[in-house]
Amino acid sequence: MTTPLEIGAGETALFWILAPISVIAALGLLFARKSVHAALSMIVVMLIAGVFYIANEAPFVGIIQIVVYSGAVMMLFLFVVMLVGRDASDSLIETIRGQRLATVLVTLGLVALLTVVVGQVTWGGAVGLAATNTETGNVTGLAYLIFGRYVWIFEVSALLLITAAVASMVLAHRTRLAPPPNQRAWAARRFREGKHLAGLPAPGVYARHNAVDTPALLPDGSISELSVSRVLAARSQVASPERFADAQDEIEREIEEGSER
Amino acid sequence: MPTVFEAPEINWAAIAPMLVVMAGGLIGIVVEAFVPRRRRHSVQVALSVVALVLAFVALVTLTVDNRVKTLGGSVVMDGMSVFLQGSLIVFGLLGVLTMAEKFGGDRPDAFTPMGAAIPGSAYEAAADRAGLATSEVFPLALFSLSGMMMFVAAGDLITMFVALEVLSLPLYVLVGLARRRRLLSQEASLKYFLLGAFASAFFLFGSALLYGYAATTDLDGIAAAITETRPGLEPLLVPAILLVLVGLLFKVGAVPFHSWTPDAYQGAPTPVTGFMAAATKLAAFGAILRFVYVGVEGTRWSWEVGLAVIAALTMVVGAVLSVTQTDIKRLLAYSSIAHAGFILVGVLAFSTLGLRGVMFYLLAYGLMTIAAFAIVSMVRQGGTEATQLSQWAGLGQRHPILAATFGFLLLAFAGIPLTSGFTAKFAAFAPAIESGTLGVVLVVIGVLASAVTAFVYVRIIVLMYFSDATSEDVVAAEASPLTTAAVAVGAVATVVLGIVPGPVLELAAQASELIR
Repeated sequence: MTTPLEIGAGETALFWILAPISVIAALGLLFARKSVHAALSMIVVMLIAGVFYIANEAPFVGIIQIVVYSGAVMMLFLFVVMLVGRDASDSLIETIRGQRLATVLVTLGLVALLTVVVGQVTWGGAVGLAATNTETGNVTGLAYLIFGRYVWIFEVSALLLITAAVASMVLAHRTRLAPPPNQRAWAARRFREGKHLAGLPAPGVYARHNAVDTPALLPDGSISELSVSRVLAARSQVASPERFADAQDEIEREIEEGSER
Repeated sequence: MPTVFEAPEINWAAIAPMLVVMAGGLIGIVVEAFVPRRRRHSVQVALSVVALVLAFVALVTLTVDNRVKTLGGSVVMDGMSVFLQGSLIVFGLLGVLTMAEKFGGDRPDAFTPMGAAIPGSAYEAAADRAGLATSEVFPLALFSLSGMMMFVAAGDLITMFVALEVLSLPLYVLVGLARRRRLLSQEASLKYFLLGAFASAFFLFGSALLYGYAATTDLDGIAAAITETRPGLEPLLVPAILLVLVGLLFKVGAVPFHSWTPDAYQGAPTPVTGFMAAATKLAAFGAILRFVYVGVEGTRWSWEVGLAVIAALTMVVGAVLSVTQTDIKRLLAYSSIAHAGFILVGVLAFSTLGLRGVMFYLLAYGLMTIAAFAIVSMVRQGGTEATQLSQWAGLGQRHPILAATFGFLLLAFAGIPLTSGFTAKFAAFAPAIESGTLGVVLVVIGVLASAVTAFVYVRIIVLMYFSDATSEDVVAAEASPLTTAAVAVGAVATVVLGIVPGPVLELAAQASELIR
């Protein structure tokens, strides 16, 4: 056996500062109401795990953790959240009465049990990776394991990736059943139905604001529902055009006052 | 860590069956991309059948003579692996046959034309009219099957975990692709996925603790570490074993990890339910056998009581709750939970005979389950499956052969003599009685639970034969030779294994050796 490794004060301090943050972030992942907050907490957990790997003399794994997980995977996750919509309306109604209380009790019981059990363990001294890192090299040693002892698992994980790709296509991809209507077809349809012959009213108010979430105002000052997308309306992300109309009124009043002077 | 690169020795003959099934799945994916839509179904079915037959041939010609530990210990092809992989391939073949059933239509009857369509939407109807079909189910089933074959042969915890995921992920998708009652199917898929991910986390946590204890994930290494004992680390061992077992017991649907079973069985397309009930259960029990017998038997006195409690609970809860069910698929789900308990009794015998009994039970149960679910998929009212028990009333008067076959399978589930169910129960319970007091107690509970389930099955038989039909339009759909073959194989096997079980029991006995 090699001699146990001395753990420096710096590393100890690093652990005791980052570990609680990591735990809090992990709890944030569970209890955050918004999925974006949960994803951000997850990134914090992943980053801290990366830092721990580096502190444990495994720089390669640490960097991979940060680049691949925090960088690529979690960013992908955020993109998905943004594309799908960040609907936070989880139903918190208990379908089975007392379920949440029972869950909390059982969870606390399990946590207490595992804490007591793991707390009784006396760990041997840390060995450290210094020997491996100098003799074989950090990355080389990992490669030896991945392409040697664990090559079967490495190859078989390809099946997991293929399954994931096929599954996402099966569950989410909609084949186009008919060619998309072109402009000519749209126009023909408008005239056939005899509605909105000149197209739907465009969003925006008096050239002051032309964002798609700002509905147009009709001559009588009421809002034109047709000018904003139904999707935005359903998500209640439609801005109020009143303040632009008010600003317009203000200007008109000022011009009137100016001309009276 | 190794200081020089050592390429692991690969015994290609030993892993040939797994490679053939995997290759079948991969070619199936390519077929999806390049073969015209209207020919995809027949190509996929033919490809799957050919791959499975080839895999079986490879198993009986190459692998049986190459019982080795290969790929650095990741794959252990011993007698148990060969027997269980052979059974899995048979289940896969029967499963593919039932999944391919069209019932006179122009594409597989059980699967939705378009998984991405919102249930009940105009787009879904348009997809149906356009003649789309999710023929991806066949490669997915092959992937799942290859994961199961890896699972029963996994020699270390990491391989076991990857195999668990390879077998589970395609199943989560397959469960959500039912053609009718789409919302129920999607709900089942989501529940199975979330709870499955949760169980995988337990498995990983347990593996991490075991690695902390033994400094290796190889099952033989863990066994060696247990005999050496690790001072200071002892408290880790029992929780680690129990956590790993939670992950594995989830897959067999043992109480209290069974809550997904009725929902997933009910929501899944019926052929998938049959495949899942037979093959997943067998694969998970294979992994439990290997983990328990090879890995952690050395410390069995410290956790076998826990496992025995789970076995007893599983039998009792499965049997009692099956009494109250009104849906035939849910009823069979609770019956499968009870069967998981019976099989656990055999596992707890801790003997070669127990191993033999469990393997025989898994084969017999799988064959009757696939046939039973195939029959469930045939009974229809107004074009959809008649899964309500009340709809089955009087079926025996209109379809005597079908009802007789189903009744016979139910008797086999109950374990009536002259069916494979009886032989299987005997083979699993007898070694348990010899193993000691705990075994005797479990067998008594098992026999009582069997009596309760027998009541449930007999009630269905009475319903089919001696009550008047509530409505006349419940009919058995005209099945193609595919489903007929699957039902026939299941039923004939149930008879043969019940009357002359000798040869297969002998085969199982020869196969009950584990390479440690």
